[in-house]
Amino acid sequence: MALLEVRGVVGGYGEADILHGVDLDADAGEIVVIVGANGAGKSTLMKAVAGLVRIRAGSIAFAGEAIANAPAETMILRGLAYVPQERNVFPSLTVEENLAMGAYARPAQAAAGMARVFALFPDLVQRRRVAAGQLSGGQRQMVAIGRALMLEPRLIMLDEPTAGLSPKFCALIFERVQAIAREGVAVLMVEQNARPALAIADRGVVLAMGRNRATAPGPALLADPEIGRLFLGG
Amino acid sequence: MDAALYAATLLTLAAIYAAFSLGLNLQWGLTGLMNFGGLAFVAAGAYTAALLTAAPSGTHVGGFGLPWWLAWPAGALAAALLALPVGAVSLRVRTDYLAIATIGIAEIVRLAVRNEDWLTGGPLGITGIPRPFEGLGQPWGQLAYLGLACAAVAGLYALAEATARSPFGRALRAVRDDEEAAKAVGKNPARLRVQAFVLGAAFMGLGGAMMAAFFKFMSPEALEPVTVTFLVWVMLIAGGSGNNRGAVLGAVAVWAVWAATDWLAAQLPGELATRAAYVRLFLIGLALQLILIARPQGLIGERIGTQR
Amino acid sequence: MLELVNFYLLPGLVLGAIYAMSATGLSLVYGVMRFAHFAHGDLMAFGAYAALAAVDALGISPWAAIPIAAAATVPVALAADALFYARLRRSLPAVLLISSFGTGLMIRAGLYFVFGPTQTGYGMGFTPPLVLGALRIQVRHLWIIAGAAVAALALHLLLTRSRAGRAMRAMADDPDLARITGVDVAQVIRLTWAVAAVLVAIAGVFLGIDTQLTPGMGFNVLLASFAAAILGGIGRPWGGALGGLLLGMAEELSSFPLIGGAPLLEPAYKTGVAFAVLVLTLILRPQGLFRGM
Ligand SMILES: Nc1ncnc2c1ncn2[C@@H]1O[C@H](COP(=O)(O)OP(=O)(O)OP(=O)(O)O)[C@@H](O)[C@H]1O
Ligand SMILES: [Mg+2]
Repeated sequence: MALLEVRGVVGGYGEADILHGVDLDADAGEIVVIVGANGAGKSTLMKAVAGLVRIRAGSIAFAGEAIANAPAETMILRGLAYVPQERNVFPSLTVEENLAMGAYARPAQAAAGMARVFALFPDLVQRRRVAAGQLSGGQRQMVAIGRALMLEPRLIMLDEPTAGLSPKFCALIFERVQAIAREGVAVLMVEQNARPALAIADRGVVLAMGRNRATAPGPALLADPEIGRLFLGG
Repeated sequence: MDAALYAATLLTLAAIYAAFSLGLNLQWGLTGLMNFGGLAFVAAGAYTAALLTAAPSGTHVGGFGLPWWLAWPAGALAAALLALPVGAVSLRVRTDYLAIATIGIAEIVRLAVRNEDWLTGGPLGITGIPRPFEGLGQPWGQLAYLGLACAAVAGLYALAEATARSPFGRALRAVRDDEEAAKAVGKNPARLRVQAFVLGAAFMGLGGAMMAAFFKFMSPEALEPVTVTFLVWVMLIAGGSGNNRGAVLGAVAVWAVWAATDWLAAQLPGELATRAAYVRLFLIGLALQLILIARPQGLIGERIGTQR
Repeated sequence: MLELVNFYLLPGLVLGAIYAMSATGLSLVYGVMRFAHFAHGDLMAFGAYAALAAVDALGISPWAAIPIAAAATVPVALAADALFYARLRRSLPAVLLISSFGTGLMIRAGLYFVFGPTQTGYGMGFTPPLVLGALRIQVRHLWIIAGAAVAALALHLLLTRSRAGRAMRAMADDPDLARITGVDVAQVIRLTWAVAAVLVAIAGVFLGIDTQLTPGMGFNVLLASFAAAILGGIGRPWGGALGGLLLGMAEELSSFPLIGGAPLLEPAYKTGVAFAVLVLTLILRPQGLFRGM
């Protein structure tokens, strides 16, 4: 049984459902990439797993425990970390304080966590006392990912971590993501830069209008001509 | 006879409050604008009408001895003119600042009323304000004035209803419920809000003019934030904001409770009577809380447009 | 010149310190809960009267009564939140604002009921001012300024050095993100009320020491507190503190006879300064000095 098992999830904001029965698996050490058109429900799916969007039907299990509709603030202690698509740092807090917030639930682990994050993203060391709101997009993304890694989660969800970043930063982020997965962390990632992301994905999931459209190893999806035409821009 | 007079007095005041409450409903109920300075606009209307209708006096400018049917619209106009800059400044920014700015304007107006003796008579106030129909004697004069007040409120009600149903009213609700969507279809939220704010203030100004004529006397004492501003909020929320019938019903119902408790408290001996007034103040605050929590839509909820 | 310092600048600093403490709490509440808390002034009056009760009952000085005032005001804020605001958390901010107006009225009514409507004071008697060269300073003014400085330092340490304070700032930045990191929102909200209540209760005692007590005293400074908070940038506690200091000075200086012996502004209209500052802020720099939220 996989670390994260999403089965037939239905839900959305208020009245209207956005997700109409989505399945998803992610296992330790695996990189799972979700792709799909704008508005397909990729972010909504992540929010549902993170406990920020209520689901009406279906189940979500993490490490064998049912977590559907559990309060969002309990997820981090279960080992499930989440980096939202936008607004993923505390802009008025410094880099260091942002990272400390990542260890809010277990302050004793803050020092060790910070050392690990600074080793993973050495660029941040110099800027540790700078307010996150003043950082460039790439640095901000590093802070956000670093924050999520502070308590050594078993699963990390990244919603478009490379959106708006230069190719140099994209490559860096993808490279770090692989490093994170090699440590045995499950990585669930939504990506608009679908080709490079699928290239490193153990599993690719295509979402369309709140439903699974296709699931296959990343390179296989890349090779599928129809998927390529419909979702990967030719 | 006494009972009839008493009832006429109560009903006249209820009608005046209904004018305030209809004005607040245009602002808050229909447009979502928080006006916690109703007092300022009531004062503008009351003093304008008082100065225009009172006999000339040595203690302040005027009076001009004009007839009420000229002075009342002038009172409404004065309130609207006061509302225009307040709304224009605070609504450009965002709506919760309006609540604060209106508290400020109410304070300034209260200070001006107390201190600008040449204009308002200061603490002595303006005396000898004629009341329409008082020549008819008791009780007919009172009853006729009640009729006039009710007719004025009926007119305001009709105007408020027409506004709510007009394209303008629909635009206001659209802005209230979803500003972005309203912008997307080409509405100008800031301008619509200012227009609604000014119109609502004019209602309050007219109510103020009616109040000055009814009391025949206007002084700073008549302008207490609790009775002129806060009570109106309770009336509107209790009646059902967004609904003009609710605004009128709330005014009458809450005024009835207010007046009845006033009467009850007055039956208590000396010191207890003043204390009872504070208990009543406490209870009215509590009532507001309970309505907000248990029945946010009020006695009758909004009829037209979407539920909030 | 010395007259300016002794009779306008120093009192302005004192008033400013009081506004600053009130505005800081107001801004904290706004930042964490996103609504304008209209009962803030009445909480201040409650603190002042709680100290009065302690002074009368125990025969202590109002300075010694400050902890009692703070301890008495915190439960009031927490109760208002638990009974009213918590149930309205999902409503529009405007509804919470109206509810807080009701809370303020209830507090004020309670003060009227218990203490009556007449002005009173802590009965501190007259103490001659300290004379430092040409400067003449009221001792109580020194204490108020020092007290506000200590409160500011304590708040600074809480917000930057403690886990709970960081969580408060995180909530103000982004409540959803704060939840994701495991912050217990209800707990942070309670802490915010406690901090705001302590600050505003101290401000109330200071105001009572500097002037007089009336049950309406809090409502009278509400406008100034908001003007200070908006001037500083609402949701930014330090902005509120700076805004409070500036506004206090501006209010006192407004009656300075700069031109030909007549005060710049009739003292009766002092409250008008707060309104003028508010309006000018809204026109010239609506986000406030420190880019509020
Ligand atoms: N907070 C919200 N309230 C209501 N509807 C929302 C909200 N957020 C998103 N939606 C709607 O839900 C649908 C799916 O949005 P979602 O953010 O999940 O898409 P996405 O696949 O992540 O798209 P993108 O690639 O643009 O990020 C969209 O129609 C969107 O308008
Ligand atoms: Mg998305």
